[in-house]
Amino acid sequence: MKTGNIIRAGTLAIILSLLAAATWEIYLRHKGNAIYYDDNEAMWAHYRGMVYEPSDESTVFIGSSRVKFDLDIPTWQSITGNHVIQLANVGSDPVPYLVDLADDKNFKGTLVVDVTEGLFFSDFSPQDVATDKKINYFKKITPTQRFSFQVNHILESQLVFLDQERYSLNSMLDKLPLPHRPGVYPGPDFPDDFGVVDFNRQSYMTSRFVADTILQNRVKAIWVCLGRVMAAPTSSAGKLDSFFNVIKVATDKIKSRGGQVLFLRTPSSGPMLEHEKKGYPRTKYWDRLLAVTRCPGIYYADYPSISNFVCPEWSHLKPDDAVIFTKELIKILQKDKGWTFSKKSNSI
Amino acid sequence: MLFNSYTFIVFFIIILILHNLPFSWRTKKINLLIASYIFYAAWNPPFILLLWLSTVVDFFVGRALYTQENKHKKKLLLVISLIGNLGMLCFFKYGGFLLENFTFLVNAIGFNFHPAKPNIILPAGISFYTFTTLCYTIDMYKKKSKPVESMLNFSLFVTFFPHLVAGPIVRPPQLVPQFESPRKANTQQLFQGLFLLTLGLFMKVFLADGMLSGPANNSFGATTALQSIDAWMGVLAFSGQIFFDFAGYSLCAIGAALCLGFVLPNNFLYPYAAVGFTDFWRRWHITLSSWLRDYLYIPLGGNRAGKYRTYFNLMVTMLLGGLWHGAKWTFVAWGALHGIYLCVEKLFRDMRKSSAERTLISSPESKVIRASFVPEINHPKNLKNFILALGTFFLVNITWVFFRSTDFTSAWRMLHSMFINNPKNTAVLTNLEIYKVGIIIPLLLITHWMMRNTQALSVAGKTPWWLLGIVWSVMIILILLSQNASSAFIYFQF
Repeated sequence: MKTGNIIRAGTLAIILSLLAAATWEIYLRHKGNAIYYDDNEAMWAHYRGMVYEPSDESTVFIGSSRVKFDLDIPTWQSITGNHVIQLANVGSDPVPYLVDLADDKNFKGTLVVDVTEGLFFSDFSPQDVATDKKINYFKKITPTQRFSFQVNHILESQLVFLDQERYSLNSMLDKLPLPHRPGVYPGPDFPDDFGVVDFNRQSYMTSRFVADTILQNRVKAIWVCLGRVMAAPTSSAGKLDSFFNVIKVATDKIKSRGGQVLFLRTPSSGPMLEHEKKGYPRTKYWDRLLAVTRCPGIYYADYPSISNFVCPEWSHLKPDDAVIFTKELIKILQKDKGWTFSKKSNSI
Repeated sequence: MLFNSYTFIVFFIIILILHNLPFSWRTKKINLLIASYIFYAAWNPPFILLLWLSTVVDFFVGRALYTQENKHKKKLLLVISLIGNLGMLCFFKYGGFLLENFTFLVNAIGFNFHPAKPNIILPAGISFYTFTTLCYTIDMYKKKSKPVESMLNFSLFVTFFPHLVAGPIVRPPQLVPQFESPRKANTQQLFQGLFLLTLGLFMKVFLADGMLSGPANNSFGATTALQSIDAWMGVLAFSGQIFFDFAGYSLCAIGAALCLGFVLPNNFLYPYAAVGFTDFWRRWHITLSSWLRDYLYIPLGGNRAGKYRTYFNLMVTMLLGGLWHGAKWTFVAWGALHGIYLCVEKLFRDMRKSSAERTLISSPESKVIRASFVPEINHPKNLKNFILALGTFFLVNITWVFFRSTDFTSAWRMLHSMFINNPKNTAVLTNLEIYKVGIIIPLLLITHWMMRNTQALSVAGKTPWWLLGIVWSVMIILILLSQNASSAFIYFQF
């Protein structure tokens, strides 16, 4: 090899790569994109490791996407002085996470379980593999994975293009307008502005999404499509009995260690709400859930202060409403459920 | 620690700085040893004890084997080393498998035996470092090389982080002498090492994980029969994935070592351009195939004990080679298929043996070389050989079905889907996934064919610097865009 050839090539490669990365970053920022975080198993495991904080200092949330959108974490934390550990996951059934926490003898904290009937009660969960991946990742996490997460956090906090969900090559290729193969469902194509994620794992709609009804209608169309699959509640009575038994055993385990569990039904609206009411009658599912587990619950429709939200795409609250919802939720928890927080909440 | 992780980047920068500071050579070696233990412990700290145990036992047993003149005592020492190394491997890697099969057998003959399933965690790279230490003690027994005098050098030979977890499997004469005198990469070597590191990461992060793992996982994860195109694309995707994953790891290892001034043996030589299976095993996982040749096939007799014994030796070698990859019968089936391919190829070769070949094998020394299942490479240049290479690739793909499938039911279902198309069967791959495989695999085959008699660094050396710089930067950019920083290498599980 000619001496110096590879050195010059390497130098050129470094310069070109830096230039390309900088150009891409500037372009994305120029288009109005902000820093968002990858809501991956490493991030989930990071927060899963925090559930051992004293129960009067933190509250753990599990569930599906609704509680990720509807609970405004900065609002909760500023009012209550209580740390939110957000472990909910989009499109997932929270039951495996509930069982995971119940089986963890060191978890003795306060747990809020978000109930989205179509995911909580049905056999359908599009994210089963991701659920196993996240729980296993936490259980088998290595020191190098912990360190890489911290380095990644530093880089992600500075660079827009490191948003894997939006700007990784595969994400961008997935957006190519290729014809679909008959019989192959490529997965829902949510608009980029629908669910961006903060480092605290809160999801929210961007202002672009809130203002754009075309984007909202795209998501509604996805719900309609998914609804066809999700409309299958756990069918047999025996299966439902054993399902409730699993939940009861799990909640009993947590309560026996001094922890507490509360179920939360967050708002939905429009055809989505009608669909849920029809598929999962409240008496048969929600009421029975509370009766079997003897856990407290908050069903949004029972409280006037949180019963009239309109979700832009039928299923999740917009950021401004999430702030209001969170403030009202705290009030309900204090007045109706007797919860106390370390910080006085006079400012509500 | 994974090469494709931020932790490794930070770790490697620190090591490079430390290695280039004006410390004594002994201090630098101690730095490298500590770094190697950190590299390993970053995965699962307690298993470092196994590594220490293996190192200490083999250092002292190896020395005793070399100096011991009493034949019985010498054999006893060898047995101790073999039991120590293979026993550890058997317990951690094959414990569950052996118990499962024992349970099946005793139940089949009427006993009601249902033991609890053991929960054994496989230490990363145990198959690799066990083979590294085993070859040392066997060499000492045979007095093939001199014992390593310094415990520090021996520990570093076993533990040197680039090769520790997934090879290349190094022999003492390849690495130990490099620890005896001060080494530091010059600027040229540093950039060559960085080029290989980039190429390896490009193969792993962009091609294996980013482009091919999706289609492979979707096809092999299906629980029903597939349409033929889905089955074929899945298998082809896995063929590409496993090559890019493992060859990528090997390049990273070789590149990382080169950045520090050390040379590791090559592990892949464009295997999908192989004409026949002897050629394939000369190009695929070279350090394992040569290990199996030298420490299993030839000790079994190679081809020196007659035609039928040769076939038997080939089959035993490949069956054990298959089992080395994992404690599952599907891996054994993979090895068996390769064994059969090699036997059939040998049968044809023997039938067509030319007078020129008869002249070649007349000396006893070359007879041993020819006895191996990895003979010297031919240099085919014509269309016939290209077609033969495609035929070899086709047959290799059949073997990958067993390698990748979780059980025989899935493997048979996949083979059935590949060869009998039923439009009513399930389709799982998107058009995009089919395009990815359809573009990458032909490019892979063309590249292998064109590069079959050369190596990446020599091609890089002949390329104009500006063109190499552009290609290099494209690889870096694609790695950055892939953003798959956490996926483990497939061979870690072996």
